[in-house]
Amino acid sequence: MTDSSLPATAPDPSHTGPSSAATRAPQLRRLAGQLLQGEQPYMLYLAFVILLVVFSVSSPYFLSLDNFLNIGRQTALVSVIAVGMTFVIIARQIDLSVASTLALAGMSAALAMAHLQDSWLVGAAAGIGTGALVGLINGVLTTRLAIPAFLVTLGTLSAARGLAMLVTETKPVIITNEAYISIFGEATFFGIPAPIAWTLLASVIGILLLHYSIYGRQIYAAGGNPTAALYSGINTRRVTTLAFVFTGMLAGLAALVLSARSHAARPDVVEGMELDVIASVILGGCSLFGGRGFILGTLLGSLIIGTLNNGLVLLGVSSSLQLIIKGAIIVAAVAFTKR
Amino acid sequence: MNVLVHGADPQPSQGPLVRVSGVTKSFGGVRALRGVDLEILPGEVHALLGENGAGKSTLIKILSGVHAHDGGRIEIAGREVAFASPAESRAAGVAVVYQDLSLVESLSVGANLMLGREPRTRLGFLKKRQLMAEVGAFLREHGIPLDPRAPVSSLPFAYRQMTEISKALMGEVRILILDEPTSALTEGEERILFDAVRTVTQRGVGVIYVTHRLNEVFHISQNVTVFRDGTNAGNFVTAQTDMKQLVTAIVGPGHVLPDIDAPPPTSTAFAAAEPVLALTGVSNDRLRGVDLTVHQGEIHGLAGLIGSGRTEILQTIFGLRGVTAGDVRVADRPLGNHRPREAIDSGIALVPEDRHVQGLVLDHAIERNLTLPRLPYFSRWGWLDQRGALAQAGIVMKKLAVKAPNAATVVKNLSGGNQQKVVFAKWNQPRPRVLLLDEPTIGVDVGAREEIYGLVREAARAGTAVLVVSSDLAELLRLCDRISIVADGTIATTVDRKALDGTEALHHLIQLPRAERAQT
Repeated sequence: MTDSSLPATAPDPSHTGPSSAATRAPQLRRLAGQLLQGEQPYMLYLAFVILLVVFSVSSPYFLSLDNFLNIGRQTALVSVIAVGMTFVIIARQIDLSVASTLALAGMSAALAMAHLQDSWLVGAAAGIGTGALVGLINGVLTTRLAIPAFLVTLGTLSAARGLAMLVTETKPVIITNEAYISIFGEATFFGIPAPIAWTLLASVIGILLLHYSIYGRQIYAAGGNPTAALYSGINTRRVTTLAFVFTGMLAGLAALVLSARSHAARPDVVEGMELDVIASVILGGCSLFGGRGFILGTLLGSLIIGTLNNGLVLLGVSSSLQLIIKGAIIVAAVAFTKR
Repeated sequence: MNVLVHGADPQPSQGPLVRVSGVTKSFGGVRALRGVDLEILPGEVHALLGENGAGKSTLIKILSGVHAHDGGRIEIAGREVAFASPAESRAAGVAVVYQDLSLVESLSVGANLMLGREPRTRLGFLKKRQLMAEVGAFLREHGIPLDPRAPVSSLPFAYRQMTEISKALMGEVRILILDEPTSALTEGEERILFDAVRTVTQRGVGVIYVTHRLNEVFHISQNVTVFRDGTNAGNFVTAQTDMKQLVTAIVGPGHVLPDIDAPPPTSTAFAAAEPVLALTGVSNDRLRGVDLTVHQGEIHGLAGLIGSGRTEILQTIFGLRGVTAGDVRVADRPLGNHRPREAIDSGIALVPEDRHVQGLVLDHAIERNLTLPRLPYFSRWGWLDQRGALAQAGIVMKKLAVKAPNAATVVKNLSGGNQQKVVFAKWNQPRPRVLLLDEPTIGVDVGAREEIYGLVREAARAGTAVLVVSSDLAELLRLCDRISIVADGTIATTVDRKALDGTEALHHLIQLPRAERAQT
């Protein structure tokens, strides 16, 4: 496949129109080139449209603004973390610990507000800081001790969950701070529900970092060919470690959103969610061999998985059957979208 | 009708073994082959020549089933074929030895040679003794000096390549394709390879021999085909042609031919200047007290046997290996125990030996590769100056004459010579103070080789201190002002280019430390 959507390629004839549009066309094309990173995810679009059509036809409740906001809220946790996972997978690594990290970060935020200071800022800092710390441990063990990330994060998956359960002997911690509940859970910003607003913010940060910063170039190189990156003066260990830290911080942010919406932090939440996160990223066009992927694809991937969950519930499919259908569709979709 | 000739069949058949006619192939928008012809007779060695990008590799990949051809006709022993996979090609008797090796390093030579067709007992267990005996007999028969029990990971590069060639020679081979088999071999090993090739041609096997070393063509081949820009540029009977004619066919008319017997460049007054690069007593796990100075504008060569520590000296200067004793100074500033980033920031550039593994991210665009070592220069508070990077890439590509549609072209789709130019271009802007080159023309054709020599000389003229590692002694003699001989992780001796009157003298110097050691 060619990189026809990158800049410096021949103009696209379909973009000639009125004069105002004609001046905007090159900018739009450049933007599209940045956001798509040379990928042409037609199968992804197709899969999404097919899903929308199937559920719209088969459920009268599916096609409504309320339901779409609902999907957005339900997808928020997966989407936020998947933005970070995109960096990790582009760097040729994997992070299996994100769901446990979320649980631990949620406990940490709730406990900090209950025992240190009852302020939403303290809660947010504790949650995101805990996530960053788990990410740092993942990154340092992977890059310094050269243990495969699969094993390191399998270990932290277990250890972080255990720690989350240990601190309160598996009891939930109630959150009463109203500012916290409002900012991360129940407020609306310009009509956008908080969980969706945080997803958008995480995505914008992800796009800026990955597609517009020096760091983005470094992470693509570190994943695309680690040796060549090293020979070009890139500190591949630091770059890779930062990807884990960023993912951990986003797992922390997801923890804030979840605990604010349920007015409590629980140590046993979102078990197995790492599968949805990784599936979103791979579905969105990231290569497990590193060096390829883009944030918009990841978001579309997580929307597809969210829509699937939502539609199956609306159709009244039993939860055990839902898991089977979801698994089959994910594998089939990845088989179709991979090159 | 059956004109199929088996490897073991001593009867040469009437028609050609391989007949390629009008074959075309495009990758994306790049037309790699525009209709080429090639005929290989049983029992002949047929040299296939051409610059990088001329289409040799593409044709070989089509013959070996890696790519499918777009148009034209390919016949093997009179039957039209279109291989869908390397396995099909192998089943038809085509064996290929690539420059990039395909050995399982953790296994022994014997296990590699018999991979996938090991002798087994009825229950499926491996008959290891029989395997080793079979391989040993095969190696003796062909006079190949390899120990079947030695693990491949323990072998120097030249012996790995010989293992790869032996692997291709085993089994039923009708057509053997050798892609630059001698690029890393010493003269003695080269002779063994040629003998092995002659042995197989006596069995009626046709050999396609791809090389950039023209003098080999006269040693081993009977016929020569030259490709240029994806078409045939000439067919010659080796005995009736000469070097000049071949070079003209390769580079094409209108090219100014490099003077092959050019006198060495006269060394400038660099000796009076302060050294730009100075190593004093540098030691680490592979080096033992290296003393070396390279002056502004000097081209300094490092010669030595494989494994002597030549590459390690470059890697240590570039910060890829730690320094346990001694120091590395650039413009009299000590670098200490530095990393590549500090080396780059103090003006050191490295063009590594293996462009696929160390030099390039093959899946990424040219522009991405070019900006990689210079990212901090395109940074504004950590944000990438996209336009600046793209504009810079355009300028450098033009300056080095990189043949590609644009800067967004993926490096994988370029020819070897153009890929090497991209590696050079990574370090072209700003001009480095110290340029380290590790085998700068390996797998690069005559034309691109001259261009690269031009780039190196230009850099030296502009004041860069250049340090070149090369196994090609003629290359060192053509480029360098001084040459240091590396042996056992240290500099054995340094000589002025003017003191050497040919490759023989240099060859002798390289062998000398080994001979001295053998005496004591």
